[in-house]
Order: sequence, then structure tokens, then C-alpha cells
Amino acid sequence: MSLLSTIRNKAAALTLFDPNNERRSRDEIFRQTYRLPTNSTLQASISTEFSIESSALYFPGKLLLSEAYLVFDSIESRSCYFVMPLVAIRRVERLASKTYLFALTIQTLHGLKFNLQFVGLRSQIEHFCDQLKQNLRSNVSDMRLLRKFLSTLYSEYMLSDMSPTGPDSKRDSMAVPPGGLGQIFKYPGDARKLRDKSKLRLWAEYMRDHGRNLTLIRLPTFQKLIRVGLPTRLRGEIWELTSGSIYLRLANPNLYQSLQKEYAGRTSLAIEEIEKDLNRSLPEYPAYQSEEGIERLRRVLTMYSWRNESVGYCQAMNIVVAALLIYMSEEQAFWCLSMLCDQLLPGYYSQTMYGTLLDQRVFEALVEKTMPILWEHLVKSDIQLSVVSLPWFLSLYVNSMPLTFAFRVLDVFFLEGPKVLFQIGLAILRINGEELLDVSDDGSFISILKDYFSRLGDSAHPTSKNDKLREVTKFQELMVVAFKEFSVITEDIITEQRQKHKNHVLDGIESFAKRTQLRNLHKTGHLSQTDLSNIYDRFFQALQSARLGLGPTKTLMDMESFQIFMQGITKWADEPHDFLARLFHRWDVELRGGLSLQDVVTGLGSIMEEDIMNSMAYFFELYDEDGDGKVDREGILQMSEGLLYITRRLTTKKLLEGEDKSPQFTSNSASPPPGQAEASVDYLSSISAFIRRAFEYATPDVAEGDAYSEKLIPVDSTSSSNNKVKANAALDPNHPLHITLPTFRMVVLADEALEHFFAHDFAASMKLEPAKGTLREKGTLRELFDSLVSDSMRVAGEVKRRIDEMERQAREQQAREDAAAARTSNQQQQDDDDDDDDNVREKDRDILTGLEIEGVVDVQDRNRLPSRPA
Amino acid sequence: MSSLDSAPSAPKPTASVKLVLLGEAAVGKSSLVLRFVSNDFQENKEPTIGAAFLTQKCTLPNRTIKFEIWDTAGQERFASLAPMYYRNAQTALVVYDLTKPTSLIKARHWVNELHAQASPKIVIALVGNKLDLCNEGGENDEEEDRRKISTEEGRKFAEEEGLLFFETSAKTGANVRDVFLAIASKIPEEVVNKRGGVAGVKGRTGAGEGRVDLESRSGENNAGGCAC
Repeated sequence: MSLLSTIRNKAAALTLFDPNNERRSRDEIFRQTYRLPTNSTLQASISTEFSIESSALYFPGKLLLSEAYLVFDSIESRSCYFVMPLVAIRRVERLASKTYLFALTIQTLHGLKFNLQFVGLRSQIEHFCDQLKQNLRSNVSDMRLLRKFLSTLYSEYMLSDMSPTGPDSKRDSMAVPPGGLGQIFKYPGDARKLRDKSKLRLWAEYMRDHGRNLTLIRLPTFQKLIRVGLPTRLRGEIWELTSGSIYLRLANPNLYQSLQKEYAGRTSLAIEEIEKDLNRSLPEYPAYQSEEGIERLRRVLTMYSWRNESVGYCQAMNIVVAALLIYMSEEQAFWCLSMLCDQLLPGYYSQTMYGTLLDQRVFEALVEKTMPILWEHLVKSDIQLSVVSLPWFLSLYVNSMPLTFAFRVLDVFFLEGPKVLFQIGLAILRINGEELLDVSDDGSFISILKDYFSRLGDSAHPTSKNDKLREVTKFQELMVVAFKEFSVITEDIITEQRQKHKNHVLDGIESFAKRTQLRNLHKTGHLSQTDLSNIYDRFFQALQSARLGLGPTKTLMDMESFQIFMQGITKWADEPHDFLARLFHRWDVELRGGLSLQDVVTGLGSIMEEDIMNSMAYFFELYDEDGDGKVDREGILQMSEGLLYITRRLTTKKLLEGEDKSPQFTSNSASPPPGQAEASVDYLSSISAFIRRAFEYATPDVAEGDAYSEKLIPVDSTSSSNNKVKANAALDPNHPLHITLPTFRMVVLADEALEHFFAHDFAASMKLEPAKGTLREKGTLRELFDSLVSDSMRVAGEVKRRIDEMERQAREQQAREDAAAARTSNQQQQDDDDDDDDNVREKDRDILTGLEIEGVVDVQDRNRLPSRPA
Repeated sequence: MSSLDSAPSAPKPTASVKLVLLGEAAVGKSSLVLRFVSNDFQENKEPTIGAAFLTQKCTLPNRTIKFEIWDTAGQERFASLAPMYYRNAQTALVVYDLTKPTSLIKARHWVNELHAQASPKIVIALVGNKLDLCNEGGENDEEEDRRKISTEEGRKFAEEEGLLFFETSAKTGANVRDVFLAIASKIPEEVVNKRGGVAGVKGRTGAGEGRVDLESRSGENNAGGCAC
């Protein structure tokens, strides 16, 4: 079960993050097209003919159903569509039909009736209707929330005298819904010049016939009404409707309020950053010189930074939100900002701003395609376009154009999506192309555009004799060029271009991040720049992060990732072990329970130096947990286990001199080469000698009469039988003892192999080779399987570790009993260098455990092989 | 001796020099520029999105330097955009806040970044700003000394890295002009000639040479000219 779910999770993660495989799922496309909340899935779809009883409208199209929405989209692209929350449906009736096919009549909460004539196989239709019935039923409970929700919409207030329940006194009782700051501080622009009243009347008429807010049917007129600019009072509501943020707000009642309660009084880095900018957001608009305006701005930005901490706060969000709040209530603006950051402009305001950088690259590519001469001129003059265009995109033109025009751009942007930003940008360059071709420095380039923006309200054809033509403003001209001439810039083209440039942009961000991080490392010991670069790559690979360029990832390595990391650079760390845990805790200098890149670099720097005295001291300190300069009996046993753990994959110089041991995981192959088996035995004997000597020269904790003299026993006196008795007695848990660093050194130096190990082999067992497969290659099928294999290896390792632990405890118990027995009988075999396993001494059992580990691993490896992809 | 001048250029050679400002958010980069270009100070300046572009001339005895100033956004996440702006810069102002220790660390990072990635001959000035918040030796008993980074510390770092060093106040204007004058006179002749941009090419005068600011809203660009 867990393997399958792992595969599923990995696969999901891959499609999400893998830049090479950006085929969006059917559900994703469904959600994005109709701007539905992220938990919506496409449950059923069916060909349907849609008609409205009261008018003579008729459209063939497709009906789509999700958990909480019914969507219709006409065959002829966007000539008619609606996104209807199921809670807004009042009645569904089955129409008597002559044919075997059947039809439904749906009545919305606003009284609009329309027919849906299904086309297709009877069984399909039945299935669709069953699902619809089921979904309608499960949405019934949410209907009680509807009344409160509707009271926040201006269209309800505006049209409340035409309620389906007949004209009543509802309007009088209905409070004016909360609106934007414009209601208090005046809306920007001249209402008369903007023909606000006429526009509002047109909207009222449209809504009367085609539904409003949640139940609105979108016909071409709807789009036209938006193109000519929204009336101020309806602007906020239509923005949230077209952006889809209204559905988020509907689905999350009271979330904004409860966030405020939850996070009241808390601070964060994002909040500090927000505070710096509150007084600097559209400061010329009167509301933002007032407490009320600043407070609303603060709350919306702060609450969003809590809701999405990975984005937090990015400068430019303050400007966008300041603009939204002029027309929207706080809660509306909050959800609209969520929609912007999470769905409409992903990555724009993220930690790495990859979305912004990517779209700048895409914009440049589109300029090159559509205006090759201008592009060539820019390249020749060394003018970097994004320097100009980046703020356009990031603050949605709010900061570049006079506000009244920027809002018109937003009107269309929320309806048609990010392509509008490109279309407007291209049109700006097209219109100013001639002038731009005449200049060759950044300053003049910027000033032409700035000058153009300041004259957007002027006539586009001031000298024309035609009155009508003279009335056309530069802004109207801009809109025409943007949406007529650049109608070729479709969403598909943008998606395709983003796809094409994504890797390049992410590479740029990642190499910048890497460069910066590496440069800021300190205490790097003898590690070279190449070493550091390899550590960096392996560090983030082990964290299994998605592409770093996409945004914040974990920066601290836990024990599990640490083992994966160490496995990559050593031969021996291919399974968890107490030794690794000790290293981990030693390196975690700030006691964060995780290792930063700096921790790992410092740690590696200190153990990768081939310095025998340092290595020995370091190793000793790993086992001197309380730092009192003593390692006790248990510690000595663990030391030997650690030595065995590391050396079980190593070969001693003596035996394999001159042989090329390049493959890192030789031991993972079916059977270890004979040379290596011998080598392990070689270390094995050294380590058992280590234990014997360590106990021999250990100092009893309780000062006994002869403790002092014991210390002075020379190394070569081991043949004395008297000492042997003492050595055996040392195993007695009733006589606590310890070794100190000098003793440890002496014991190590007494053995050639161990001496060599600390002088050379240990440091050399770690190799900082380039990480195989850069982060970019991650996400291929091959990688998926590889990581699954390593996952199952980890699981196997963990299980084995637990079993071993139990066995070890049992054996220790046994050893204690045996040692007690040994005290009474002096018949023990003495020669520990014996090659006959039957004769090993009791105290060597732990080492054998190590050999068993090796055996178990080999068997497992063999079993595991077939599961690897060929 | 030398002076800043916005008057139509004397018959001295005029050369464009690209200058980039880098530093932690809210250390006063934009304010330094505003002081230099317009001799003005605003408490609430809109944050710089991406970068702002302004120009200002600086007249030396033997030549006139026209600074093309790229004022960058300070927020950490905008850092990866910086290479776009310091590309081809002949000179950089790395700014920190005298009252904020972390800002000097950030300044060090920027100096390292520039040394490693920018043009090799780039002239860098290290500027500790907000001198007005430092009240050395308790000259004024009413106000506390908010200085956290000593002059010695800044100077030592600048000397190690071979940077020009100044402590300024954009609010009072202290030392601001000196920074730009020092940079102007430090620009090697050949670097200027290499880029070779003579200001005011192709007949775009007036608006083209005036104050240009990506960020400020239209309507306030009629200020024009340099008021130093």
C-alpha cells in the first residue's frame, strides 16, 4: 500500500514540478479555464444544447460538472458560458420530451430559467444526471450561507427591487454592501467623463435578463461591457467574478475573519516588510493618507502573508492591493490577491520571482517575433527591455499608467487572463515603435514611454478632420492595437513560450542562488571551490527539493536526508547507523535538529582532512557524549561498531594496493569481490584487537589501589596472563571503566590498519564528486524509479536496524552473563587473530553482528535487483 | 573647485557613466539618489519595483560626467534581478544603514558579488547612510545615538576591499554630493571612452536628459532638470 501511494505522490510531485513535463492534467485545465477553486475536479461532461426561455437564445455546447459547480461552454468559443455554483440552483425539472433523449429546466436563485437539452447516449445522460442530483444534494447544506454572501454583492442591492419573489420592501431593509475605499474617498477619474451612470444602466439591463453574480450567463455582450470599462460601483464585484476569486470567497466563508483572530498580534519578517511599504502605496490617493485606508491595506497584505507564508510579501503587492481596495471590500481584495498570486500569476511574487523573470523572457521573445526590427535595434543599442517592462507586469500597469487607465487594463486582465499583460505591452511598443527606433540609450527609451503614459488621455489623432476620429484617445488606440493586432497572442502561445524558456530562466536563478550561497560560506577548511559546488548540489539533491528556482525549499537537512547525502559521497553510509547519527548531532552546532549547508560544509571540512591526530580526536569526541574526556564501556563498544560500520565497505591499502576502486557501491553488487571480503576480515581483526586493547588499558571509574599502575602498562606486555584476567574482568559491568583520548590514541596507533585508517582511509572514504544528474534531470521516469528504490532501501534499512538493535541488546545481555562466567573460569581462548570463526571470543560478538549486517545487506541487494528498471 | 551643474554643458567632453545602487531594503538608496538628483527628501517614497532610472550630470574641471543611475529594489527576493541592472555598470554605490548591523553584512555580500560578477574595473563606493540618526558624543542630549556600526568598521572594510568610503545622510544632505564627486573623479578616462556614450545623442534633448524615473507617477515629471 505504501509503495503504491509513494508512487502516486512522486508522480504527482513530478507533474507539478518537472519543467520538462508540463502536461497539465484534465482537472487542472478545467479549473484554470473556468477559474474554479483548486479542489474542483471534472466529474462528468456531456454535449448539451442550452437555451433561455425568455429570450430566443440557443447555443450548442458542453455541460461540465464538478463537485460544486455546473459549467456550460458553447462550441463556438466563449460565445456563451456560465459557471454556476450548485448552491445557486433553485429548481431542476425534467422536461417531457418527445425523443428518447431528455432535457432539464433549471431555475436559478435569481429566477432565471433555462433549458438544457442533452445530446448523447442515454446511459451517459443518466450518469450525468445522477451525478448532478447527488452533487446538488450534498450542496444543500451550504445554501443557508448564501443569504449572507449575497448581501455582500452590490448587484444584489442594485437589483433588489426586482426580486423573483415579487417587488417587496427588501431594498429598504437591505444594507448597502461593503465596498471599496472609493465609496468614502471618491473613485479616481471623472464619473461623468467615464459615463459611469450609463454603464451602470447597461449592466442593470444585462443582469435583469441574464442573471447576476453567481448565476450570470456570459454572452458576448458581457465581454463588450467589460471592454468599455466597468462602472465604479460594480467594478469590484465583476473583478472577483471574472477572476474567479468570488468562488474562493464563497467556498471559504469567514476564513478572512478567522485568520485575523488567529494571527492577531503576531509578527514575521513579511510583516516587517509590509510595514515599511504601507505609507508608500499609491500615496497620492487620499485613502492612503488616512488611517482607514492604511489599516485595510495592512490587514489584507498581512493576512495573505499568513495564509501563504511561502510567498509572504513581495514589493508591488502593496501597489496591486492598494488598487484593488479602491473598488473591493477587504475580504474581496484578500481573495482576489490569493487568486492573483496562486493561480493567475504563479511565481510572480514568490521568493525567487521566477514567474516574473520567466514572463519577461517570454515578453522579449514575443517582441522579437512580432517586431523584429525594433528588437534588433534594442539588441544593437544594448537596451534591456525588461528593465522597462518588469514593473509593468509586476504591478499590472498600476504603477505605470494613470490610475483610470490602469483599471481599464485590469478589467480586461481579470476576464481574459495574463495574456492581456503581454498584449498591452506589445501594443505600447508597437505604437511608440518609430520613436523608440530613434534612440539608443536606456534613459531616452524610458522617457519616451513615460511621456506616452502621461498622455494616454489625449487624442490619438489630434489633427484629424474627422470628429469621431479626433475623439479617440491614445488609450482607446492602445486597447484596439492590443486586442486586435495582437489577438494572435493567445494563452496557448504564452504557455508554449513559458515552457520553452523555463529551464533557462530557472538555471539563471539557481546559478545566482548557488553563487551567492557558496560565496557566503565560511569555515570551509581545505575544501576547494569545486568541492563546495559539489556539496551544494548534493545537499539540495538529498533534500529532494523541487527545482530551487521555483521557490523556497527546505534549507535544513534532517537525519534521513543526511544519510542520503552521506551515501552519495562515501562507500559506507548506505544505511543508517549510530555513527551517522553522532556525526549529525556533532554538526548540528546550533541545535536546530537539522543541518544547514554551512553546517555540512564545516563538518565535512573538519573530517575530510587527512590528519591523524585530528581524526582520532574527532572520532573520540563523537563518542564522548558529555564532553568529560572519557568514553565508558558502552561507548567503547559503540566506537568499535562505528569503526566496523565505516570499514565494512573499505578495503585496506595493504591488500588492494594499485587496484582501481572507482565504483562507489561495489558492495551493493550481487557478491562482494573476494579481495574485499578479505579486506573486511583484515579490519575486523584490527577492530577486535582495538576492543581488547581498549578494555585492557581502560581506567576503572572507581579509583582502586592499582588503577594508577595499570595505566602505565606498556603495550608489549599483553602476553602476561595476569593482564588477561584483568582484561576479561574489564567486561564486568560491575566495574565501570573508561578510556581517555590519550588511551584511545595509544590503542589506535598500536594497530597498523587502524593507524592507516585514521591517517588516511577515513578521510579518503569520502569523495566529493559531482552529483550524478543535475537537479534539472530530476523528474525523469528513471529518477522516479531510482528514488523509489532508494526509498524502499531506506525502509528495509530501518527495519533491519530495529531488528539488529533488539539482537544487539540480547547479545549484550549474553555477553555480560558470559563475562561473569569467564571470571570464574580461566579457560578462554586467547588468540584473537585466529581465522576460525568458531573460536571467536565472547566479546567479539558485536563485531560478528557487523558481519551479519553485511550478509543481510547483500542478500537484500540481490533480492532487490529485479525490481530495478532494466 | 568642482561642482555639480545642470546648465547646458560647457565645451568640456561629456561622458555617460552607468551607476548602480545596491543594498538592503530601506537603507535609503532611493533617498540618496533623490537628494543627489533633486536635492530633495521624502519620508514616504514608493518602494522601487525592479529598478528606477534617473540621470544627473556632474561637472569636473576637465570633463562632465552624466550619471545614468540605476536605483535597484532592496527587498531580498529582488536580488536575483540585480545582475540585469549592474550589467555594464562602471560604478556602484553599495549602501548600508549605520543603525542596522545586518545591512553591513548584506553590503559585504554585494561587494563580493560585484567583485566576482561585474566589470573588473568597476569603481565601488561603500556608503553608510542615515548619519542624521547618529548623535556622536552626545552633542545633542535629547536624542540618543542610534549608530550601531562604527566609522572604523566601515572604513576598515572599505580599505580591505579597495572601495571609496563615505558616511552620509540623505535626510540632511551631508556628504551626498561628495560621494558622487569622488566617484566621478575616480572613473578612469579609458573606461568612460570605452562605453563612449556621449550624452544627448540624436537630438533628444530636454525630456531625454531630464529626470526620468520609472516609478514615479506621471504628472510629477515636469519637475525636470537637476536641482543641485
